[in-house]
Amino acid sequence: MTQETTLAGRTLPFLYAGFFIVLVWQIVVVATEAHPSILPPPWNVAKAFAELLVSGEIFRHTGISLARVVSAWLLSAAIAIPLGLAMGRSVRLERLVDPLVELFRPISPLAWIPLAILWFGIGEAGKVFIVFIGTFFPMLLATVAGVKGIDPVLVHAGQVLGCGDRLTLFRKVILPASLPSIVVGLRIAFGTGWAAIIAAELVAARSGLGYLIANGMEILRADLVLVGMVVIGILGVCFDAFFRFLNRRLAWST
Amino acid sequence: MSESKTSLRAGKPITIDRVSKTYQSRSGAPVEALKPFSFEIAAGEFLVIVGPSGCGKSTLLYMLAGLGEPTAGTIRVGDETVTGPDIDRGMVFQSYALFPWLTVLGNVEFGLENKGVPRQERRELAMDYLLTVGLGDFADKHVAELSGGMKQRVAIARAFATEPSVILMDEPFGALDALTRRFLQRELLRIWREHRRTVVFITHSVPEAVVLADRIAVMTARPGELKSTIAVDLAHPRDTASDAFRDLEGRIYAELDEELARTFADEGRVSSG
Repeated sequence: MTQETTLAGRTLPFLYAGFFIVLVWQIVVVATEAHPSILPPPWNVAKAFAELLVSGEIFRHTGISLARVVSAWLLSAAIAIPLGLAMGRSVRLERLVDPLVELFRPISPLAWIPLAILWFGIGEAGKVFIVFIGTFFPMLLATVAGVKGIDPVLVHAGQVLGCGDRLTLFRKVILPASLPSIVVGLRIAFGTGWAAIIAAELVAARSGLGYLIANGMEILRADLVLVGMVVIGILGVCFDAFFRFLNRRLAWST
Repeated sequence: MSESKTSLRAGKPITIDRVSKTYQSRSGAPVEALKPFSFEIAAGEFLVIVGPSGCGKSTLLYMLAGLGEPTAGTIRVGDETVTGPDIDRGMVFQSYALFPWLTVLGNVEFGLENKGVPRQERRELAMDYLLTVGLGDFADKHVAELSGGMKQRVAIARAFATEPSVILMDEPFGALDALTRRFLQRELLRIWREHRRTVVFITHSVPEAVVLADRIAVMTARPGELKSTIAVDLAHPRDTASDAFRDLEGRIYAELDEELARTFADEGRVSSG
């Protein structure tokens, strides 16, 4: 096993990075004599983090944010993947849907937040809507690219080996052949969804990690703001690692 | 035609009846790929098609597979007219076309599963064919772990395993080095004798054609049609250094040279005009 493949080998660079950030942070605090409500020293943030751990608050906010992302992300996958598979195989459908995608894609999910509040208030539906917008396009585009990238000779091989009807061909050739690309889409979409939910919670929520940050700002508790940010960063890295692990299990994609 | 010791004559005859193919080019102008021509291939025959690049040999093979439709004319295999791809017509591709998400055994089982062969039986059948191509030890390996020559052996096992009447081979050894190629030619002949099928084999290599074929069909330059057929009445294994072998090679090169000269003459006229 090489250093990169062991758990220690992969987490070590992150530990170095964490140490470096804390070091610079402490230097800035000392050098600028910053007020703790503006830029608290790392130690204060660690204490705030410990408090939130003990009270369980951090788990509650994280769980709520995560539940919002996962549900919207699953909903998005349930629509984007079948649609992407169909678009990848049908030039007609692609011509029909592609202009819509191209028009909506440049609009950041954050730009939808005001409409989401108008339409859904500050309840769960609005959050799911925002994350749905943020996750839908990366998944759709990755799926379409996956299907269109299939070597035509594999499709021919499937056909001469008895995949007579379209459904069998889909199930036994098109789907497995485009799976690595679909998994990449799922991974990227989870990242954009995770970013979108925090933004949505900053603006309109009474729970979640984004709310923790926004609330920290309002009550002048910069330490809480920073705890929220640290948790977001660490979880983001963990999700990415999870999806990379999943991708490696599809051994053939390498 | 040299009737070998094999008594089993599985495979079906192929009738190509006034088949032609015209493409629509991107600019909309029709491009004639194949002129109308007719041709018969006997059951269990090993037919090799040679011709200049772009003469439409692959187009013809894809139409035999049912992966492309003739513009006019019909293709019959046995009594049935070809209307689309069918598991009764197997194919081996130059780029192997193995499914990378399946194991070696999984690839050979793929067609058998579609044929509805029960699990246990198809596993044994697929294993038999893997042993036939000498890859029994590689059953559980992934495709990416194999060399080009091994991949093509798996593809051959996969094509034979479904026991089709016809096996279509599109320059199957074109991407392999000379030694692997020689080895696989002999392997293919051995397998073909054990499991007699009608084989239509496309190649650019004249020596390969003479090593393998019962009969060689030479195609004209584009638009392609049948130029001539040459029976190869040499006993297997064929001695590539023998006079008879060299004579046949010479005849085929002469026919191809004629076509190449025509192609270049045409191109010269186009570029100067």
